[in-house]
Amino acid sequence: MMEDRKKKILVIIPAYNEAENIVHVVSHMMETAPQYDYLVVNDGSTDNTLELCKREKFHYLDLPINMGIGGAVQAGYIYAYKNDYDIAVQMDGDGQHDIAYLDQLLQPLFKKEADVVIGSRFLEKEGFQSSASRRMGINILSLLIRLTTGKRIMDVTSGYRAVNRMFIDIYSKDYPTDYPEPEAIVEAIMHLGVVKEVPVQMRAREGGISSITFKKSIYYMIKVTLAILVCRLSYGVRRGKRTQE
Amino acid sequence: MIPSNLRVVLIVLVISYFIVILYFLKEKALNLKYTLLWLVAGLVMGILVVVPELLTKIIRIFGIQDNMNGLFIFSIGFIILILLSLTSIASRQNRKLRTLTQELAILDKRVRELEQDEKR
Repeated sequence: MMEDRKKKILVIIPAYNEAENIVHVVSHMMETAPQYDYLVVNDGSTDNTLELCKREKFHYLDLPINMGIGGAVQAGYIYAYKNDYDIAVQMDGDGQHDIAYLDQLLQPLFKKEADVVIGSRFLEKEGFQSSASRRMGINILSLLIRLTTGKRIMDVTSGYRAVNRMFIDIYSKDYPTDYPEPEAIVEAIMHLGVVKEVPVQMRAREGGISSITFKKSIYYMIKVTLAILVCRLSYGVRRGKRTQE
Repeated sequence: MIPSNLRVVLIVLVISYFIVILYFLKEKALNLKYTLLWLVAGLVMGILVVVPELLTKIIRIFGIQDNMNGLFIFSIGFIILILLSLTSIASRQNRKLRTLTQELAILDKRVRELEQDEKR
C-alpha cells in the first residue's frame, strides 16, 4: 500500500468571476497547505480572474468559454486523471470552504473507508448554516436522495468534496452539468461508491455573488429533482459496477 | 376531393420544397444526415398531393372524421418529432463541445508549461 504522504493530491478550485476572492483563497492555501497541488479552473470569467491567475503565476486551466460549475470541475477531474493523481478535492473559489478542514476530508480516503467524502455543514451545525429557505431546499433534496438510494446524506449541495482515484476516473468521464452536486452523489452511490460526510464549518461568501439567486431557486429545485430521478432510473436498469478495489 | 387548381399549387409547393433542400445540400448548409427526415417529409407530402384518397383512408383508420383535422394532427406530430431530434442533436453537440473545451484548456496549460521550460 502506498504511503499517505506520497499520494498525489490535487485541489481543484473552480472559479467563475471570482476576482475578489481567488487570490486570497489560493495564497491562503499555499501558505497553510503547501504540500498539496492545486489547480484553479477559470470558467470563462468575464472579470479579471484570468489576469490575476497569470499575474500571481498560479497553476490554472483557462476554459475559453463559460461551461458552468459542472464542466469546470470535470475539467479538473480530467486533468487529475491525466496527471495520475490519487485523490482529487474540489473546493469553491469564493472563500466559503476552509482549507483547514482538508485533512479531515482526506482521512476517510486514506483509511479506505470511503470513495467520496463530502464536507458537511449540518453534521455539527457550526459555522455558516445558510438561510432557512436554502436549508429547506437542501433537506428536500436530501430526503429525495434517501428515498431513491437509501443513503442518508445531509449536505447534498456542498461543493467541498474529496474523491479517490476510482471516482477521478468516473467523474472525468461523466460529471453532471448545471448544479451538479446532488446528482454527483447519486451517481457515486449508483457506481457502488461509499459516500461519507465529515463535519466542516463554512463561511458566508467573502465577496462576489452566489450563483443561485432567488429567481433561479425554483428552476434549481425542479432541475435537480428531475436529475436525481433520471440518474437513479438510468442506473437502476444497469447498476454500475465497481471498477477497482 | 381537393380542387384541381389547389392540387397544382400544392404540387408546385412540394417541388419548390425539394429544390430548396437540394440547394441547401449543394451549398453544404445542411448535413445530409439531418436532411433525411425532411426528405421523407417531402416524399410523404408529394404522395398525399398526388393520391389524396390515401390520406382519407389513413385518417379513417384512426377514427378521425375530418380530413383537415387529420392532416393537422399528423403534421403537428411530425413537427414535434423533428424538434425532439433537433434538441437531441443540440444536446449531443453540447457534450462534445464541453469535452473539446476541457481538452483545449488542458493543452493550453501544457503549452504554457513547455514555454516556461524553454525559457530556462
